[in-house]
Amino acid sequence: MTFYQQQVLKFKNELYPHESLCQQVVQAKRFMDSQLDNNLTLDAIAQEASVSKFHFIRLFKKLYGQTPHQYLILVRIAKAKQLLRTNNSIKDVCFAVGFDSTSSFTGLFKKITGSTPTVYKNRQNLRS
Amino acid sequence: MKLKVTSLLVDDQEKALKFYTEILGFVKKTEVPLGDHKWLTVVSNEERDGIEVLLEPMAFAPAAAYQKALFDAGIPLMAFNVDNIQSEYERLEKLGVVFSMKPTTMGPVTIAVFNDTCGNNIQIVQL
Repeated sequence: MTFYQQQVLKFKNELYPHESLCQQVVQAKRFMDSQLDNNLTLDAIAQEASVSKFHFIRLFKKLYGQTPHQYLILVRIAKAKQLLRTNNSIKDVCFAVGFDSTSSFTGLFKKITGSTPTVYKNRQNLRS
Repeated sequence: MKLKVTSLLVDDQEKALKFYTEILGFVKKTEVPLGDHKWLTVVSNEERDGIEVLLEPMAFAPAAAYQKALFDAGIPLMAFNVDNIQSEYERLEKLGVVFSMKPTTMGPVTIAVFNDTCGNNIQIVQL
């Protein structure tokens, strides 16, 4: 067994002793990845992990270093970038990835990617 | 400043290009002759405008000692994300790739480590 493998197993045992609980949170995260266009509630996500809402938030933060809400915004913006590369209007993309106002979508998009959806879309169109 | 290129030291650029394209599935992006060697980069087939990996020739002896020490300890030099680690592991193993660590779940990630045949351990990760 390599030194690296020993370290991995050490972390696995010391930091993540409850493997099935971890897997429940991972499953909920993948659920979030796959359900972007729906208006996901934290209750529904926590239910996917079979734990209470508050316990879920705590576990998720421990595993991923961010809250489920922060994570959901990141995946929605990633999906929005994908959609903006095709010919969707900004308004359509905003609703398609689960935001209900274009101004909050635009603000978050800029905060996360560094440019507004319009600038991003124009740049992508120039490239292709 | 922008993140554009990151590099991997390889013992033979041609061999590395073959491994990274034919086995791993990356795509050659740039090839510029530079004396005995070349500026040779590959990108992910799924993100062709993404960060490039420079397959950098091993032409500096102290770096070889560093690379070997990491290799012997099983420590990966670079990690690539995959959608399904189990199927990727099986695909690569069938192609003769040697793994020093089979897919292992550690909390929220599953990771595996293989030999890139050019002097490095590479990790694949599924989140």
